[in-house]
Amino acid sequence: MARLSLSHLKKTYGALTVVDNVDITVADGEFLVLLGPSGCGKTTTLRMIAGFIAPTSGAITIGEQDVTNLPPWKRHCGLVFQSYALFPHMTVAQNVAFGLEMHKVPQAERGPRVAEALRLVRLGGFDGRYPRQLSGGQQQRVALARALAMEPQVLLLDEPLSNLDAKLRLEVRIEIRELQQKLGLTTIMVTHDQEEALTMADRLVVMEKGQVRQVGTQRELYERPADRFVAGFIGRSAFIEGAVTAQGRFRTGGGLDIACAAAAAPGSATLALRPERIAIGSEADGLPNRFPARIEHASYLGALLDVQVALNEQDRMLLQIPNRVGLAEPHVGETVTIGWAESAGLVYPQGA
Amino acid sequence: MSTAPEAVAGARTKLAGLLVVPATLFVAFMMIGPLAILFRYSLNKFVPGQFMVDALVIENYVKFFTDAYYLNVLARTVRVAVICTLVCLIMGFPLAYVLARTQSRFKNLMVIAVVLPLFVGNAVRAAGWMTIFGSKGAFNASLMALGLIDQPLEIMYTENAVLIGIIAVNLPFMVLTLQSVIEGIPRNVEEAAFSLGAGPAAMFRRVLWPLALPGTLAGTILTFILAMNAYATPVLLGGPKFQMMGPLVYGQFAQQNNWPFGGAISFILMTSTILLTMGAHLIVQGRYRSNGPAA
Repeated sequence: MARLSLSHLKKTYGALTVVDNVDITVADGEFLVLLGPSGCGKTTTLRMIAGFIAPTSGAITIGEQDVTNLPPWKRHCGLVFQSYALFPHMTVAQNVAFGLEMHKVPQAERGPRVAEALRLVRLGGFDGRYPRQLSGGQQQRVALARALAMEPQVLLLDEPLSNLDAKLRLEVRIEIRELQQKLGLTTIMVTHDQEEALTMADRLVVMEKGQVRQVGTQRELYERPADRFVAGFIGRSAFIEGAVTAQGRFRTGGGLDIACAAAAAPGSATLALRPERIAIGSEADGLPNRFPARIEHASYLGALLDVQVALNEQDRMLLQIPNRVGLAEPHVGETVTIGWAESAGLVYPQGA
Repeated sequence: MSTAPEAVAGARTKLAGLLVVPATLFVAFMMIGPLAILFRYSLNKFVPGQFMVDALVIENYVKFFTDAYYLNVLARTVRVAVICTLVCLIMGFPLAYVLARTQSRFKNLMVIAVVLPLFVGNAVRAAGWMTIFGSKGAFNASLMALGLIDQPLEIMYTENAVLIGIIAVNLPFMVLTLQSVIEGIPRNVEEAAFSLGAGPAAMFRRVLWPLALPGTLAGTILTFILAMNAYATPVLLGGPKFQMMGPLVYGQFAQQNNWPFGGAISFILMTSTILLTMGAHLIVQGRYRSNGPAA
C-alpha cells in the first residue's frame, strides 16, 4: 500500500474541461471518497488514476513513483467496476488468479493467495463456479477478491455498490470498510450516494463541474460546508436569499431581519439553515431568531416529520421535527412559531 | 427448456405459430426438394447422346475421386478458401475492433464504407479489375510508364488474382460479423484485464480472443462457405484454366449437359464444405476447452 497524490490534475476535451486542477493527497491506508453529482468529473478522475485516461496536464504519484505516463497494466491499481467486469469464461479461482499470473507470481504461490483472497471476501469453496452462477453480491465480492489478490498499491472502487439491492448494499458497505481497515488499503471510491460516502470514508472530496469544492471529514462537510453547493449537496439545507446589512445582521428578500454569525461580509448573500436545527413552538422560546410561520406542506416520514413553512410571501423554510411522544401534529395552513440560534445559519456571499 | 419465448397472457399461440410456416415451406421446397432431386440425379448414368439414364450407381462419385484432375480442383478450392478465410480474419479483426470500439460520430459512415463494396455485384467488380490488372491494364501501364517494370506483371488469370478477388468480396462479411461480436464484449472487461497487469497482447490472448471466439467462428464459417462456393470471381479473374468447384459444377450442367456428374460434384462440394466446417469447429472448441481453464 502506498500514498497517492494528484497534483494539478486536469482533463479537457476540446473546449470542455471535465477535471479542473484537482489537488488531492490520499494518505497510506486512508479511505477517500469522491462524491458529487453525475458529470462532476469524479469518474474521470478515478479513470485517470487507473490509467485509462491520459490527463491533459498535472501529475499522479503512487508511493514515490510518478505514474502519470504509465499504462494501466504497470500501475498496480486494483480496480473494482460498477458492473464487476468479471471474465465470464473463467471460473472464480481463475478470475482471482489472473492478476497473479500477469504479475508472474510463481504457480505454487498462486493457489494459496487465491484461497486467501476468496476467504477474505467469504467466498471460500466457490473456486470452481463461473461468474454467471453467482448472485450479484457474490460477483461483486469476486471482483473485490480479484483486485485484492494482486496486492495492489491502491484500491479503486467505481460505484461498486450501485448494482446491488438496498439491503445487500448496507452489508457490503460494512464488509468493504472492515476489509479496507484490516488490510490498511489506500482506497479511493467514487459514488454519488451520499449515505454510502458518509458511512465508508475517512475523508470525502466533494466535486462539482470538474472542481474540488471541499475536502474534509463527514463532520467538517456537514457542519462547515465551504460553499452553497456543498451545503445543499451534503445533507439538506433551506436557503434564504437576501443580504448582509450590518455586522451579524441578515436581511431576507422578504424583509425579515435575522441575527447571523458576525463574520459575514456585507453584501448580497444566501443564508443556509439545516432543517433539524430549527425549533418549533415552545422549543423556540428564547432563541434570537423567532418568527411566525405558516405551514405549507407536512410529510409524515415515521421517525421524522418533514415540514415546509412560509415566513412571508417570499421566504420559505424547511423543518425536520423528531416524532416524539405527544407531538402536536402540524396541520397545513396553521401558523406556528419557529426559531433558531444565530450559529445555526451559515452565510454564503453571492456567487459562492 | 422451451425453444419458443414465453407467451403473453391471452396470446393466440396457434395463430402466432402459423407465422413460421411460410419460411419453413420456402426452405422445404426451395432447398430440401431440389437437393433430394439432385442427389437422385447424381446416382444416374450419363450416356452421351441420351442425356440421363435412370440408374442407381455411384460411378459419378468414383469418377471424381479417381481422376487427378478433379481431385486437384477440389484441393485448389479448399486451399483458396482456407487462405482467403485466414487473410480475412487477420485483416478483419483489427478493423472490426476499431469499428466496434470507436466513439466517433462517424461510426455509421465507417460501417457503410465497409459494406459499400457489396453494393457492386461480384461479376461487375471482377470485370472492373480485369480492366485494371490486365497486361495492358491501367495498373501495368502506369508501372511501365513510370519505368518501374519492363514486362507487364502477370496478375490476371493467376491464383493470386482469384485470392485478391475473393478476399475483397468476403472481407465485409467477416468485418460485420466480428464487429457485432466485439460490441457484445463489454469494454470494461478489457479494462479489468489491463488493471490486473495484462498488457495488450496478454489481454487479447486471455480475454478478448476467447470471448470473441464463438462469433469469430461464425464469421470464419460464413466467409469459408462463400469462398468454397465462389463462382464469378474465379471465372472472371482466374480464366478458363483456373478451375474451382463452383465453375466446375456449372460447366457440367450448362456446357457438358452432364447432369448426373454435375450433381455428384455439387454433393462433393457441399459435403466437403460441411465436413471442413465441422472439423474446424470441433478443433477450435477442443483447444478452447483445454486452453481456457489453464489456471
